[in-house]
Amino acid sequence: MEKLKQNPIVKKLGFNRIILFCILLLMYGVFSAVIPGFAGSARIMSILNYAYFLGFLALGVTFVIATGGIDFSIGPVMFCCALMAGYTLNTYGAPVIVTLLMSIAIGFAFGCFNGYLVAYVGVPPFIVSMATMNIAKGLGSVFTKTQSVSWPQANDPSGIGWFRNLVKVGDIPTGLIIFAIAAVALYIVMNNTRAGRYILCLGSNKEAVRLSGVNVRKWQMLAFVICGTMAGIAAIFFVSAYTTVQPGLGDTYNNEAIASCVMGGTSMAGGLASIGGTVIGVMVISLLQEGIMALRMTKEVQMIITGLIVIVFVYADVSARRRRN
Amino acid sequence: MGEIILTMKDIDKSFPGVHALDHVDFELRRGEVHALMGENGAGKSTLMKVLTGIYTKDSGTITYEGETVEFHNTHDAQAAGIVIVHQELNMIGDLTVAQNIFIGREFKKGLMIDDRKMIRESKKLFDELHIDIDPRAKMSDLTVGKQQMCEIAKAISHQAKIIIFDEPSAALTEKEIEDLFAIIRDLRKQNLGIIYISHRMDEIKVITDRVTVMRDGAYIGTLITSECTKEDIINMMVGRVIYENPKTHSMVPEDAPVVLKVEHLNAGKSVQDVSFELRKGEILGFSGLMGAGRTETARALFGADPKQSGDIYVNGEKVTINSPEDAVRHGIGYLSEDRKRFGVVVQKTITENSTLATLEKYMAGMFINKAAEKAVAEKYIAELDTKTPGADQLVVNLSGGNQQKIVIAKWLVRNCDILIFDEPTRGIDVGAKNEIYKLMNLLASEGKSIIMISSEMTEILRMSDRIVVMCEGKKTGEIPIEEATQEAIMDKATRDIK
Amino acid sequence: MTKKRSIFTQEVIVGIVLVALYLIFRLISPDFGKYTTFLSMMDISYYYALMAIGVAFPLITGGVDLSIGTGMICYALAGGCLIRFYNCPTGLAILVSILFGVGIGLANGVLISLMGLPPFLATLCTCMITRGLGSVVTGSFAIPWPTAKQDNGWFHSIFKITTADNLKLPLGLLWIILLTLIMQFVLAHTRFGRYTISIGSNKEAAILSGINVKFYHVMVYMVSGLFAGLASIAYAAVIKTVQPGTGAGMELDAIGGAIVGGVSASGGYGTIYGTVIGAYVIIFLKQGLPYIGFNANMQQIITGFVLIGAVTIDIIKRKVIK
Repeated sequence: MEKLKQNPIVKKLGFNRIILFCILLLMYGVFSAVIPGFAGSARIMSILNYAYFLGFLALGVTFVIATGGIDFSIGPVMFCCALMAGYTLNTYGAPVIVTLLMSIAIGFAFGCFNGYLVAYVGVPPFIVSMATMNIAKGLGSVFTKTQSVSWPQANDPSGIGWFRNLVKVGDIPTGLIIFAIAAVALYIVMNNTRAGRYILCLGSNKEAVRLSGVNVRKWQMLAFVICGTMAGIAAIFFVSAYTTVQPGLGDTYNNEAIASCVMGGTSMAGGLASIGGTVIGVMVISLLQEGIMALRMTKEVQMIITGLIVIVFVYADVSARRRRN
Repeated sequence: MGEIILTMKDIDKSFPGVHALDHVDFELRRGEVHALMGENGAGKSTLMKVLTGIYTKDSGTITYEGETVEFHNTHDAQAAGIVIVHQELNMIGDLTVAQNIFIGREFKKGLMIDDRKMIRESKKLFDELHIDIDPRAKMSDLTVGKQQMCEIAKAISHQAKIIIFDEPSAALTEKEIEDLFAIIRDLRKQNLGIIYISHRMDEIKVITDRVTVMRDGAYIGTLITSECTKEDIINMMVGRVIYENPKTHSMVPEDAPVVLKVEHLNAGKSVQDVSFELRKGEILGFSGLMGAGRTETARALFGADPKQSGDIYVNGEKVTINSPEDAVRHGIGYLSEDRKRFGVVVQKTITENSTLATLEKYMAGMFINKAAEKAVAEKYIAELDTKTPGADQLVVNLSGGNQQKIVIAKWLVRNCDILIFDEPTRGIDVGAKNEIYKLMNLLASEGKSIIMISSEMTEILRMSDRIVVMCEGKKTGEIPIEEATQEAIMDKATRDIK
Repeated sequence: MTKKRSIFTQEVIVGIVLVALYLIFRLISPDFGKYTTFLSMMDISYYYALMAIGVAFPLITGGVDLSIGTGMICYALAGGCLIRFYNCPTGLAILVSILFGVGIGLANGVLISLMGLPPFLATLCTCMITRGLGSVVTGSFAIPWPTAKQDNGWFHSIFKITTADNLKLPLGLLWIILLTLIMQFVLAHTRFGRYTISIGSNKEAAILSGINVKFYHVMVYMVSGLFAGLASIAYAAVIKTVQPGTGAGMELDAIGGAIVGGVSASGGYGTIYGTVIGAYVIIFLKQGLPYIGFNANMQQIITGFVLIGAVTIDIIKRKVIK
């Protein structure tokens, strides 16, 4: 086992991520064996639909967790983006592209708001999250006058359903391609740019980074901005796959996004983040969700499982840290 | 002075790489105030920690009230009547004075805490000590001095027979020190044994009966305070050891330009009106005892902590430094005394740490040029002779000396011309120490200017071209290396007898 | 030497704000002044106030309990199920609901105090778990508790009684006041309360003083759970049918109330009476805004900003003192 861990290829990919990937395959195998008709492209498409928006949420929040912070407002923020943009589209007839950009812009604005409060004012991240969660839910409801919003279908006669091509064109999962590109891009941001380097370092030892002459507040804020923007993008993929958004909801997705991160090896204490791990984590959660649906269990069962997953993985991280010290 | 209450004999204690206590003897009588003196790192605190059970001794015996004892933690010691009044106060700021004094052993009336009784008892304690503190006041509203009085009251309420004061006056005003002394005299009258750790020569003369001096973890001797002079004590503290290669003359050319000028720097209580100049190629030693305000001066200068006033000139030009970012932009680098907290990001690699302050130079467009980054890290690994399997190693896996080299590399990569070394060899073994010294000399000869804060007399005398001495937040002297002796420095570093 | 404390503590100011809010709403909207409005507002206030009292304790230790909202629903569902499907006497069902709350509190305490998980994360997980459990227990069906007219609906009269001349009295308010006084007493005059403050103020010093910090830290979360359990009864008495899957977000109003009422978000300070007054400010906003022509959802946005505002003021106050 130890020998395997020292293998350069294993080291590069990360031992825990390989294990997680094996768990993913195993889960798929078990579901396919237990549930008749689970294997097949329809199910995979359905899993992917879920993975897209959750993936963007999780990738974004990975950056915040890397700084040692937390953002559990992302689910409602995503819904707020989808609601406001969708309402603008349906009620005012704005061009689709404008509403998509609007969604991203709203997410960006939320990210700026959260980031400023945490980095410059010094409000604890969990308080900011709570407040933003409320604000996002309220704003979504107020803007839409508490009506749910349905985005146009792909075959909408006026042709405004084109944005659904972001998810799939015919049988081609275009969403997967976009998501893969985004994941690679964020991997590069995390590992090959100044932003990522400073975010990881300040998550590990903020004071040492500050004393190296780095403007830590700026980079800490940036992490939240990335997170908010990703929630805006996630909103687009959510409506492309699921059409209808209801105001006042969205908080279950926070937990699933955070669970994806911690499963993938991102440490809640900050400083350690794995984009690849997050992607695998997202797949596990999405598969789990599909499996539970197929077993005719409710969303709530999944919530319990997600909660337990987070506890187990965070406890493992906490105790590993204790052993090291 | 009464009979002997405590005898520590042949106490020996080693930590990995350090012989902290070398067969130390110590004796305390009832009704005596016994000073424990010595330079930083002489072993005073370690000895007290052995006494109160925080450390376990390797050998030796402790006899307390005629019996051989061994305490396993502070609670044991406390229960037996040995209490320490800490330098950093262990107070819960949001509770009241009385609540703090009786925390963990509250009086109860049914389910309820009997606050009235606690206030009454506190009042009684304070009256005995002639202290005027309202037991109902919130702890965080009190001055540090008053908080310390509360600590003392707490100690006494534990039925203490021995009270250890660890640098009690460091944060006190003149008036508060007088009050403290009044209390200590009272305690002496009540026949308690008092151990008083302090650097302040005048206090030692005023308040103590005997002085025990330690040096380099060893017992040097015990004097009767009234029969000795300040010089006697200083001589015992510094010893007569010939230190290896002290610098005999400054290496800085006569006409070397001033690269850094600091004028009237003020930052809180620990930096008061500090002015000095640093010349090109100079190693400027900052000497002084613990709490003299040297680190605070460096941090204020570097923009790490806010300052109230003061002008800073770099290469003759006045500059504004409000954050480390500003300081680094003006070519100043700071190597903290606490490397792990302020110097390196230990969970990251050598490469990442080396370029932490200079990352914008190692970019190819938007992306980090990892090859160039690694190349420069490797260059400095070779140049500074850092012992590591490679540049990808996590810093946490390196020894103290090698971690220090990583911090140096970080600033060299940045090409800083002014380097502030704060205790550059703390926690580093002898061999690595010499390497760091060599490196500093090399840097100076290459035209870098260095401020070196050090509590080690040898280091100061060996490395500095000029020495600034600080005491209690003020600059008390500036000594060219040609005239520097340990006695001269120690004289300036301790307060004069008034 | 001690600083003279202003009588205008945050608690007093918030109290004034509460009265001012009430007067403003009354002035603008005549409907707001009606007795029935007052009654329904009180009905809703009980469970928020109870949650706020409970969560004040974790907040004072510098932690937080995010599981109280979904927890409350979960306990109400469990109790309701017992009555409906198992003919359980109401008293026993109430007891089970409350004990369920204490149990989840214990779980939170163990995760945080003994296993060392960050409080917001541990309670976020139990928030999810209780939300899920509520649905699993009931098979995702809404569960009605007995109505006031039914024989086993006596618990309604804990919170509201009708006098002989058909006047309805908000008895629950009395209980809230009583519990506020009791818990304020517990916080200020018992070891448990004192150590709660100590953990939030300086945990290290508390450990060094020989306090069994781990034990008291667990207790803190059990108290929070206990009050979420009590809140579930108040909830069942008001909201006749308990819906699984709801409750998320309610904890924010309770936590917001505590922080508005002067509990420090970084721990070490807080009062229970302040917490309850703060909770009522939030409830007045929640209930009053529609009366003066605002969208009811505006309240959520306003609560969010009020929360951030209260914490920012706390942060600035600390900086000034330094």
